[in-house]
Amino acid sequence: MTDPVLTIDGLSVRFPGATAVEDVSLALLPDEVLAVVGESGSGKSVTALAVLGLLPPGATATGSVAFDGQELLGLDEEALRRVRGARIALVFQEPSTALNPVERVGWQIGEVLRAHGVKSRQARAERVGELLGQVGIPPERARDYPHQFSGGQKQRIVLALALAADPDVLIADEPTTALDVTVQAEILALLRELQRGRRLAVLLITHNMGVVADLADRVAVMRDGRVLETQDVRRLFAAPSTEYARELLASVPRLGRQGRAVRPATEAAPVFAVDDLVVDYPGRKAALDRITLAVTPGEVLGLVGESGSGKTTLGRVAVGRLGAASGTVRLFGTDLAGLGRRELRALRKRIGVVHQDPAASLDPRRTVLESITEPLDVHRVGTPATRVARAEELLEQVALGRSYGSRLPRELSGGQRQRVALARALALEPDLLLADEPTSALDVSVQASVLELFAELQEAHGFACLFISHDLAVVNQVADRVAVMRNGQLVESGPTGEVLTRPSSAYTRALVDSVPVPDPDEQRARRLPTVLTSLKNTA
Amino acid sequence: MTAYLLRRLPSLALVLAAASVLIFAVIRLVPGDPATALAGANATPEAVEAIRAELGLDRPWVTQYFAWLGGLLTFDPGRSYLIGGTIGSLITESLGNTLLLASSSLFLAVLTALVLGPLWAGTRKPWLEHLLTGINTLAVAVPTFVMGVALILLLGVLVPVLPSGGVPRDGLLANPSITVQYLLLPAVCLALPIGAVLTRYVAESLRTEMAQPYVVTALAAGVSRRRVLLRHALRNVLPTSLTVLGLQTGALLGGAVLVEFTFSWPGLGLLIERAITGRDYPVVQVLLILSVVVFAVLQLLTDVAHALLDPRVRLGGAR
Repeated sequence: MTDPVLTIDGLSVRFPGATAVEDVSLALLPDEVLAVVGESGSGKSVTALAVLGLLPPGATATGSVAFDGQELLGLDEEALRRVRGARIALVFQEPSTALNPVERVGWQIGEVLRAHGVKSRQARAERVGELLGQVGIPPERARDYPHQFSGGQKQRIVLALALAADPDVLIADEPTTALDVTVQAEILALLRELQRGRRLAVLLITHNMGVVADLADRVAVMRDGRVLETQDVRRLFAAPSTEYARELLASVPRLGRQGRAVRPATEAAPVFAVDDLVVDYPGRKAALDRITLAVTPGEVLGLVGESGSGKTTLGRVAVGRLGAASGTVRLFGTDLAGLGRRELRALRKRIGVVHQDPAASLDPRRTVLESITEPLDVHRVGTPATRVARAEELLEQVALGRSYGSRLPRELSGGQRQRVALARALALEPDLLLADEPTSALDVSVQASVLELFAELQEAHGFACLFISHDLAVVNQVADRVAVMRNGQLVESGPTGEVLTRPSSAYTRALVDSVPVPDPDEQRARRLPTVLTSLKNTA
Repeated sequence: MTAYLLRRLPSLALVLAAASVLIFAVIRLVPGDPATALAGANATPEAVEAIRAELGLDRPWVTQYFAWLGGLLTFDPGRSYLIGGTIGSLITESLGNTLLLASSSLFLAVLTALVLGPLWAGTRKPWLEHLLTGINTLAVAVPTFVMGVALILLLGVLVPVLPSGGVPRDGLLANPSITVQYLLLPAVCLALPIGAVLTRYVAESLRTEMAQPYVVTALAAGVSRRRVLLRHALRNVLPTSLTVLGLQTGALLGGAVLVEFTFSWPGLGLLIERAITGRDYPVVQVLLILSVVVFAVLQLLTDVAHALLDPRVRLGGAR
């Protein structure tokens, strides 16, 4: 067996008052992709920072991190600097903030070359051009600023920057998490190509099992700062040895898997319907372009699409926040055009809303009970006593229990907060629930339980739902029907099973193909070629 | 950019108009009037009344206001009651001195902020942090006139290395090295509070900036901490620091009055001090409106410079 290039042995990282990483040992072999998976707070990102000596002030690392026989922990700043970039490089999750907004991208890549001894400006410029070419960015765009690139392009530039000084090891921390799925597929392909071409050893930090299945050779599962198991990727997916890994894999929503039982379509008048709807934002092309769709009572309509597709805009139209430039919007049979504030308010009473990030949508200074009773207060439903009783009943329904009523949002976990948001949305017994990416900010096991709760509540209350999501697998699990949007237009719509397994449009096909399947063999068989061809077809 | 400037012009005009009314009114609401001051302590009421008529102070305020405004707009702000001469010549005599003092102070303040700000943000030595915090607090907290007197006492009297006030006998332009000696104390005194606020702002922003992902990206790629701080992060801090500096010019204008008075520096500040004590309405009015114009124009310039420094603004929004 070959010697590892990077050996982490008994690494512990302590912050004042907390231990983030406890006795972690990992060995990264040359030319392999080792995935580190785990949910938020598992210590995977802290481990990466500790390797490069970039922990925030106050944190202390003990144990050993050895690269190519050299101990990195406790190395002085200048010696570490020479390792960073040239031997071990790091790529981050969020490409939009990983680049300096006020400098040209070519300059930023050039800075790395300069730091590693490329003195001549001319030589740097040439090398920057080469690097950009390698990641699929036209070299002449070196003179552009980050804001002039798309998210996927930025991540390509970040990769070029990280690889500028020709490192042996690349640590990629959630490199595709912030990207749309078709872009994610492209970046994964690029990562694979770079890894093979440069014989890089990659430490891939991710929470996405599909990405793991696509790229990894071996997988380490982390939880609460510890490594639970390290396995060959196929063995992990086939037979995880720990209970936690089993649960983690089981919570991953899968596209192919049968979603909910399809309910027969009702003939009842729709609760929300738009006809030939056009919405403009000033100075831009149509945000929504001639959309026609309807949500019938008791139905869950999944609205999917990538960023900028107009799905959130449609959600804002549904709650009467945005008016139509042309076409009609009907809410519970009433045309919203020309409606007064009072009438609109009466209609809004029948809509519940759940947002993406419960940390931001709950008032941090209000208790859980106050947050849930707020809609009842606003619409003057019942007496203060009955409102509290109703809120407590809702807390029971979202499986939190009334004892949570006195807590503040910061005393809750992400999943618990989203349960509170759900309880608040249901306080007025809405006929329509608008859920905008309700589980995107949650860990996968938490997402699974929130989705389960959502299905139960929907069954019990029978509300109709406009469920907005970028995650096809999640929509597959909860929606009766799916509408696919792109660039403000409706690409197709129909029963969930039909649209997601036998899409009629090339774009939907590309979307479905881009979602990495959490199964190593299946994913490797189906990936690149199909995705690329289907993308080209839609271009 | 031209469109932006044109959009700003109406609000600029509005600010100046409002300021002119305010200045005109406030001066007249302050007790005492120039006629009594001119006539002297033993003057009869009739004599005072005669002077009032001569100066036009017996006319209605509205008439006085528009007469004054007309003078301003035709660049003929009239004559001084008390000091003598036209206001135009008074201003041109003092303007150069004040400009020299203000620009030297501004230079010192910016230099301090650019040197000490990064040092403060980048240091990991607790003693240095405490020292800088202490000096900074002192520089902001001690009033300008106290600081001025302390400086004079220390470096002009106890250890007499620098002149304690005034300007060189042969004028400011005759011998630069002598001019610097005279300039140093007042300029430092005026620069201290401005430089301190700016330094603190630069240091704090740099600290925030150093936690940004792009900084970690650069560090992780092997760029030295020093270069990331001084080149990558500082560049991001400049636009907003410039805005803070623009706002600080208000303190500069106010501080100049106190400093010129303390150090007998014959600039606009000293002129306005004499004019206020003498109730020399026309001079006070013109100087105040002048400082409003300077302040407003500087704000406009900083906004423009801010935009030019940020490529996201300069090149339009994200595509």
